[in-house]
Amino acid sequence: MRRPYASGRRTPREVTAVTTMLPAAADVRPSPSRTRAMRLPVRERLAPYAYVAPFFLLFAVFGLFPLLFTFYVALFDWNPIGEHTFTGMANFTRLVEDPRFWGALRNTVSIWVLSTVPQLLLALGVAHLLNHARLRAAAFFRMSVLVPYITSVAATTIVFAQLFDRDYGMLNWLLGLLGFDHIEFSASVLGSHLMIAAMVIWRWTGYNTLLYLAALQAVPQEVYEAASVDGAGGWRQLRHITIPALRPIIVFTVVTSTIGGLQIFTEPLLLDPTASMTCGAARQCQTLTLFLYEQGFGRFHFGYGAAIGVALFVMVVLAATVNYLLATRIRAERP
Amino acid sequence: MQRRFTTLLIPVLALLLVAACSSGSDDGSTGSGADATFEFWSFTGINQKADVERYTKAHPDRKVKLTEVGSTAETAQALTTALAGGKVPDLALVQADDLPKFMQTPDNFVDLASLGADAMKGDYLDWVIAQSSTGDGRIFGIPTDVGGLAVAYRTDLFEAAGLPTNRDEVSKLWPTWEAFIETGKRYVQATGKSFLDNAPTSIYFQVVNQGAERYYDNTTHKPSYDQNPQVKTAFDLTLTTIAANITAKQNTFSSGWTAGLGKGDFAVVSAPSWMLKSIRLNAPATEGKWDVATIPGGAGNWGGSFLVIPKRAKHPKAAWDYIAAMQSPAGQLEQFLTTGSLPTTPSVYTDQRLLDKKDSFFSDAPTGKIFTESVRNLKPFHFGPEDGTIGTEFLNVLTSVEQGKVAPDKAWSTSMSNVKNAIRG
Repeated sequence: MRRPYASGRRTPREVTAVTTMLPAAADVRPSPSRTRAMRLPVRERLAPYAYVAPFFLLFAVFGLFPLLFTFYVALFDWNPIGEHTFTGMANFTRLVEDPRFWGALRNTVSIWVLSTVPQLLLALGVAHLLNHARLRAAAFFRMSVLVPYITSVAATTIVFAQLFDRDYGMLNWLLGLLGFDHIEFSASVLGSHLMIAAMVIWRWTGYNTLLYLAALQAVPQEVYEAASVDGAGGWRQLRHITIPALRPIIVFTVVTSTIGGLQIFTEPLLLDPTASMTCGAARQCQTLTLFLYEQGFGRFHFGYGAAIGVALFVMVVLAATVNYLLATRIRAERP
Repeated sequence: MQRRFTTLLIPVLALLLVAACSSGSDDGSTGSGADATFEFWSFTGINQKADVERYTKAHPDRKVKLTEVGSTAETAQALTTALAGGKVPDLALVQADDLPKFMQTPDNFVDLASLGADAMKGDYLDWVIAQSSTGDGRIFGIPTDVGGLAVAYRTDLFEAAGLPTNRDEVSKLWPTWEAFIETGKRYVQATGKSFLDNAPTSIYFQVVNQGAERYYDNTTHKPSYDQNPQVKTAFDLTLTTIAANITAKQNTFSSGWTAGLGKGDFAVVSAPSWMLKSIRLNAPATEGKWDVATIPGGAGNWGGSFLVIPKRAKHPKAAWDYIAAMQSPAGQLEQFLTTGSLPTTPSVYTDQRLLDKKDSFFSDAPTGKIFTESVRNLKPFHFGPEDGTIGTEFLNVLTSVEQGKVAPDKAWSTSMSNVKNAIRG
């Protein structure tokens, strides 16, 4: 974040900001305050831990324990209302051989790519536009991009499913007007993935736009004005000012949307109410979380469901690690 | 399978609802006598409320806390979760396809024979009560209704296609399924519109339920879906129907199906008795344009439900009193006359009130007479624990064929590998 501008010039306002920050920051560092802390009674030294304890206690009960318990259950043939038989790694070997698992993985990755890439690009463009100095009613437009985000997922899904409907959907009506045959989106692999991706994009673009916009607000308008004076058009401003300024926040949104993308659940669940747990007759859009739900809570194979959960956990950790490594490289590569 | 399609709530919401309702239920036990109130979980779409109201009217001292959890599958899920370690209801309705799963662990439920079901068991169709009984004489569920088979058709559309509209003549059009498909071709030729809503539900699920054996061997109780000729016949008949191109390819209970029902996109829907409620509900504007004919291929049953009492129930006696009062032959007859649920007690099948019952939505069709005929002479077949799963896998492959995503010549082998994989564990 230090020098996000291509120009490399430091604006006067930033310089003053840095100088006024410095003394305050310097106050905290010297050792006297540290030794003062050491002299505090035990109770006061423990106080901060007590303040954060509620979160960690709740996390232990509702986060950590279920996580560890899932690892345990994954080693059993576990009927929730019957017997629990220890089967070791059997659930995992079965998982590797199960075409439904690989299908769900393919669907998850495909939906993630189809939704994340356009969504972040779109958010970037919209944030750039919303940040424009001459935008009128800026607050109105900035707030309205968040409306899809606060709309219920279920409502969004049902409306989208109707838009894409084969016989009476608006999209197919338009195709019909243009002389094309109706397409049954939900029945095909690509069609159903596009439907879900459209829902995810619709829901999350505004949220990411606001994140980008918040970061952009920190970029002084003078930089853009200077660029305009130097003859840089909107596209070059986007490339050389906006994107470099947003680099850290872009990394953040990629990480969050990757983790979110691996967990897409409600949209495929509600897409086809006649085969809800498989998202269609051929499992064409069944994601990993939906497969987990089908096995765990539809068929009550808790052990197998838990094994899918463990596999998902490993994938999220892997994705987060790759993201982290990429992020540090991007940071290191900065000019 | 069938009612599982009904209104889909988000299961999580359903569970929350259950949790919310059960947390506030303590006021019941503090009321007038511990057994005056009990909790009852049912599914949506079968109007259990009407029965409960009838009961509390006749027994003003009793209170029933009815929760419509969600679809049949969601209700079974909520019940399983509750049995695994939550607060259980005193009475629960379980759909026939979900029952075998629960029958695998009968210790979770009260043996109703000890409460008086022993004396009542002769009242019910033997092949129905057999599904909820164990070999050693214990009874874990009382059947509330069955789903006899018939065909619902649009008289106005039949007339426009030059086909007969009288229900006896229509029934004569299709003594066999082959004749049914031929009639469909005639209809399509005359009108250019689709004849049937879809093949997987309206053909496969009907034909496979007309046999003497389904997915499990009646004697060994082992899966036999891959050898049973009845399954293969039903499967091939469905493929023939798809190839004849007479269906609207609308999955039963999808939004397109609901819309098509009202708009007349198809003229025929295979209709187990509970389906009439769905047609009435989803296409109210078509009142009087429907009629009911007999189904090709003879007797059959699809669906039905059972009442069970979880072992940890707080008020099992109150729940049993409800069962005894409502599920007696007289109670089930009353239930049929008010909500249309087909009785499981054959003694009332000859009752004049049942035979005289006419349904004005379906051109005054004598539904009691039509549907009881299709369940009276059924032979019992064995239900296995994975019956629901196997049926779903077959249905899904056939749906994919109808959608053009699976080649018809690969359909059977795809089904075999899908079913095998699904029931492996």
